[in-house]
Amino acid sequence: MVPLLYFQLLGAALFGIGLYGVLARRSAVLIVLSIELMLNAVNINLIAAASYLNGIGRFDAFDGQIIAIFVITVAAAEVGLAFAIILRMYRNRGTVNVDEINILKW
Amino acid sequence: MPLAFLIPVFSFVACPLIILFQRWLPGRGAPLAILAIGGGFVVWALATIGFLGASPDNPACDVSAITGALTCHFSTDWFTAGVPGNEITDVIHLDWGILIDPLTIVLLGLITFVALGVQLYSLEYMKGDPRFGWYYAWQALFVAAMLTLALADNFLLLYIAWELVGLCSYLLIGFWFEQPGPREAAKKAFVVTRIGDVGLLVGILLLWLNVGSFSMTDAFAAVAAGELSNGVITAVAILLLLGAMGKSAQFPFHVWLPDAMEGPTPVSALIHAATMVIAGVYLVARAYPIFAASPEALLIIAIIGIITALGAATIALVSTDLKRILAYSTVSHLGLMMLSLGAGGWIAAVFHLMAHGFAKALLFLGAGSVMHGVGAHGDVDIRRVGGLRRAMPLTATAFSIGALSLGGIPILSGFWSKDEILLSVSHHLPAIFIVLAFLTAFLSALYMARAMFVVFFGSEGEDSHHAHESPILMTGVLAVLAVLAVGFGWIAFNWPGAFGGFGSFVFYDHAEGFHFNPLIAGLSVLLAVAAFALAWLVYVRRGWSHESLRARFAPVLRVVENRYYVDETYQWVIDRVVLTVSAALAFFDRAVVNDVGINGPGDVVRRVGVALRLHVTGHVYSYALVVALGVIALAIFWWLRSA
Repeated sequence: MVPLLYFQLLGAALFGIGLYGVLARRSAVLIVLSIELMLNAVNINLIAAASYLNGIGRFDAFDGQIIAIFVITVAAAEVGLAFAIILRMYRNRGTVNVDEINILKW
Repeated sequence: MPLAFLIPVFSFVACPLIILFQRWLPGRGAPLAILAIGGGFVVWALATIGFLGASPDNPACDVSAITGALTCHFSTDWFTAGVPGNEITDVIHLDWGILIDPLTIVLLGLITFVALGVQLYSLEYMKGDPRFGWYYAWQALFVAAMLTLALADNFLLLYIAWELVGLCSYLLIGFWFEQPGPREAAKKAFVVTRIGDVGLLVGILLLWLNVGSFSMTDAFAAVAAGELSNGVITAVAILLLLGAMGKSAQFPFHVWLPDAMEGPTPVSALIHAATMVIAGVYLVARAYPIFAASPEALLIIAIIGIITALGAATIALVSTDLKRILAYSTVSHLGLMMLSLGAGGWIAAVFHLMAHGFAKALLFLGAGSVMHGVGAHGDVDIRRVGGLRRAMPLTATAFSIGALSLGGIPILSGFWSKDEILLSVSHHLPAIFIVLAFLTAFLSALYMARAMFVVFFGSEGEDSHHAHESPILMTGVLAVLAVLAVGFGWIAFNWPGAFGGFGSFVFYDHAEGFHFNPLIAGLSVLLAVAAFALAWLVYVRRGWSHESLRARFAPVLRVVENRYYVDETYQWVIDRVVLTVSAALAFFDRAVVNDVGINGPGDVVRRVGVALRLHVTGHVYSYALVVALGVIALAIFWWLRSA
């Protein structure tokens, strides 16, 4: 059995990569992808924790899995919305480079 | 007699009615105004009969302990203001009403009569004016305000009427506001009299502060009872005098009156004879118990009076505009009235007020008739008219009677009243005053003679070829006024029987008979006749060229013709002093009040905002970084706490 720690390390690594992507990337599309990465890192954590608590072959508590499914749903909706916004942004400004789009102030 | 309050009410009602309905009223509402003032005249006559028949037994009437005259007082609630029990704004209750005493009676007679004459005259004079209805509306309001002023039993009501008179004079002087002259003159009249009005208001408030009542009777009683200190009385007297000086065009506030002739000529007649300028003299006469208690104030009145009288007389002598001569003549005679009041000649002052009122109304309406006949608009240059007696015999006769009366030729009214003034001056003031007063009387005769001879006698002027006599309505009014200018003075005598003369009816403190001092009367007659003879010699016979006279007195003439540079002095003071102070204040306002006080806090907020907004970059990753750091900080915080 793979120890829980490995899953958590994987989740933390993915989350860190996603966070780096959000902070460092200039393209709005890649930022959304990075956010997806972070969400999935969380999902891994949730499912790992859930299965660790229940033990192999036992399904007493489904909290982790249920929340993970919720997260997937929300992530799907979020991606749909985010790409719609990015599309409009591209139509309006001719770019998806967030450095050039700094109207979100004052 | 209690219904005497109706005298102004008629005209007060007529004014808004004319304004609102002039389009539909017959004659643009003019008959309504005339009806109103005519009604006022009738009520005045009835009230006078009632007053003459009244005795101290009448519950409303009493012989005043202060003025010594029979005084009837009718009053009712006006308003209550203030908060009960509050220390600062305690409840003030005010009554308003009318005070009828001989002074009021004679003044109301003068006002209603002259106003009636002026309004009838204006029917012809103002015929065809595009704002004919408005003219009568303002006339009605003017007269109503003046009547209220004369009837008021308290200083507050008097002040309201006083300001209304000022407003109406502004409206009527500036009646032809399309032209710059009347516009400026109206503004000047309003502003200059307003300076005096401030004094009046402060004086009234000071009196109220010390007496606790606006009522004239209370105020006079308090003064008579010695409840006020001498300083307060003198201060109040001088402040009231300021108001009177503004309205009655006394030096140095006389500058507005000569310019006021820019208005329609009947308005000038009204202002000079029956309203506005006599308000100041009336105020001093009415508040005489206050002035009489302060010898300093009386002396100031006398000094101002003689300065005004003499200065204005000299200017009148060199003016070339007929109406301007008359205007300065009014200033001069108002000065004489003030001088008389200052000398204690109360009766003489009121008597001269009346006699001068009739004569001056006659003269101004005569001048208006000349303008009408010659076809002049605005002003009549006496150098351009002459010999009008042939074309306008009625006007010439009437004007000459007015001029002779004002010049002090015996048996005409002006002679008797001026004589009384000279007499009281000689009795109560230092010798210098009587000398100057005689000089004024001489000049007064001289300038009236000059105006009369140049305009109506002598050779024809270039503007007088097409002259024609004025319509019967105008000359009729002149005729009636001429009769009064001749005969009014005769009521001064000690008539045997029921009526003992003017001084036994209108008096202050004690009734006086008619005084006659052969020396003074003889001297004044001599001077008047000499003046008329001199004027005849110079302007009709041309035995003595006035050009050579002008040349001889050139330096003096320049000063006098420039009206002693009073206007220039005002202009200089305004340009240099007022504008400098204003500029300094404006700078303070902009630099301190506005820039520091108002914009200062705004600037601080804006600068702080500018500094603070630097952290709001608008870049997505910077927000994300803050969120991430926040999450990490929270996690660390939580971890530390749980550990």
